[in-house]
Amino acid sequence: MRNPAFRLSLVTAALTVLVWVLAATPAAGQEGGGGRPQTVAGCPALSRGFYPCAKPKAQAFNPPRTPDGKPDMQGAWTAPTATGSQNIEDYPGDTFLGPARSLIVDPSDGKVPYRPEWAAKRQEHLKEYIDPMGSCYAPGIPRQVYSPRGLNILQSPGVFAIVNELSHYYRIIPTDGSPHIGNTIRLYMGDSRGRWEGNTLVVDTDNLTDRTWLDIVGDFHSAALRVTERFTLIDPDTIFFETTLNDPKVYRQPWTMAFPLRRAAKGHEIMEEACYEGDHDLPHLLDNGFKIYLGLTPPK
Amino acid sequence: MRHRFADCFVVTVALTVLAWTHASAQTAVVERGALPRTADGKPDLSGVWQVLNTAAWDIQDHQAALGVPAGQGVVEGNVIPYQPWALVRKQENFKDRRTADPETKCFLPGVPRITYMPYPFHIVQTPAHIAILYEYLHAARNVFMNSEHLSGEIEWFMGDSRGRWDGDTLVVDVRHLTDQTWLDRAGNFHSEALHLVERYTLVGPDHIAYEVTVEDPKVFTRPWKMSMTLYRRVERNVRILEYECYAYVHEEEARRREASALK
Repeated sequence: MRNPAFRLSLVTAALTVLVWVLAATPAAGQEGGGGRPQTVAGCPALSRGFYPCAKPKAQAFNPPRTPDGKPDMQGAWTAPTATGSQNIEDYPGDTFLGPARSLIVDPSDGKVPYRPEWAAKRQEHLKEYIDPMGSCYAPGIPRQVYSPRGLNILQSPGVFAIVNELSHYYRIIPTDGSPHIGNTIRLYMGDSRGRWEGNTLVVDTDNLTDRTWLDIVGDFHSAALRVTERFTLIDPDTIFFETTLNDPKVYRQPWTMAFPLRRAAKGHEIMEEACYEGDHDLPHLLDNGFKIYLGLTPPK
Repeated sequence: MRHRFADCFVVTVALTVLAWTHASAQTAVVERGALPRTADGKPDLSGVWQVLNTAAWDIQDHQAALGVPAGQGVVEGNVIPYQPWALVRKQENFKDRRTADPETKCFLPGVPRITYMPYPFHIVQTPAHIAILYEYLHAARNVFMNSEHLSGEIEWFMGDSRGRWDGDTLVVDVRHLTDQTWLDRAGNFHSEALHLVERYTLVGPDHIAYEVTVEDPKVFTRPWKMSMTLYRRVERNVRILEYECYAYVHEEEARRREASALK
């Protein structure tokens, strides 16, 4: 310790560790066990408590703005409380999947309100088919927003873009009042059109396929699905995200999910995930009898 | 005599003026006021763009063949300066191209090939981050502005892109590529040491002059360039769509398995 060079290198090492720890710490929010925050922007972090708390904040908060006067939601975001890509409903966990807390705030039982004739379909999907996202197909809407590995939002006049790290999927949402494309063009990511209502971006998505799932356990929709999403900043680092799914073919009623998006640590950059190029699982899954999901088949 | 000299003089002046005007038109940069600009004063590259060449099949001059349109090449000087071993490899690639081109497996085409695939792409431009989002295979390039490349042994199909403005030209430096992509269907290839410098210059509201310098000391004897025009897709309500290549391949495979299972 008498050696000044050694002391200097010790200080440098300590500073390096400190910088790394600070860089890894997410923005404000109290940490719970396992790295998921208990509260977010002064609200309970889990959906059922977050939703009624976030709604008045969405009315009250005055957000920073882009040069063309729109709320500025640009940057890298994650959904730290959303285990929805595994299961959008409550789930205790098993050897394969972790526990999940429902993203569904309406209906109040937190379950997808399937029509009775479609109720058994999800189990059939789980038993027999490969999650489309597992084979690097699109997450669809709204799964894009609670997909793991985070996303980047970019805004320029007339455009709101969301770019995911996972499988490099993206969505370009025109906010210029232009109409949906013709309804015989079906897209995995649908056709989204946005408009600003006060400080909320309201997005309507049509032209979806029935080729995407809402989570790993087989929650599904038909090609008649219409999705409405609402993005509102409730503090500088939190977006209140709310989405209503409307598909009278398979659901008894429209239903709603909500959760917070949190700003990623400063300096965070999304990276490349070349999902398909690195996938070696598909042949094994097929050889073990799992099937590629080609869309909704009629109930048995 | 005086009269003839005056004629000569007038003609000479006229020809000089004509020559000067013609030269200016050839090399003129569109005046500052004519380009659309963003709030931070940069040329606005936002929108949907597409090439109108056949570089995806072959970046050099080529004749037509079944399924291959003819094309005038995009390589400046039409010569790719391969090292001797690499020229042999290119010729082998060309022979085997229908199976050896990774793009036939629905792999990401890499950079700069993604630019000249015959599919449109959408540039979303902000001061800190320009996203180039391609219809083909939903490829995405995140060009982070005014920042350093990542360090370390990284090989990405679409590379690590860092952008800056050089006057009115967007310059994008691309490193950390792989050797798993070709430059075209004709077998032109590179190693993971590939380094690119792209230059995007808006030369009018609907045209970008795109130029890329290609450098790879493992494969080429010197840097070389490609250049081409990007054309704005000006149709009303145009948007990029989807080409989910491998999803279609898998669907055929799934249907084939289903059919043989029923037998």
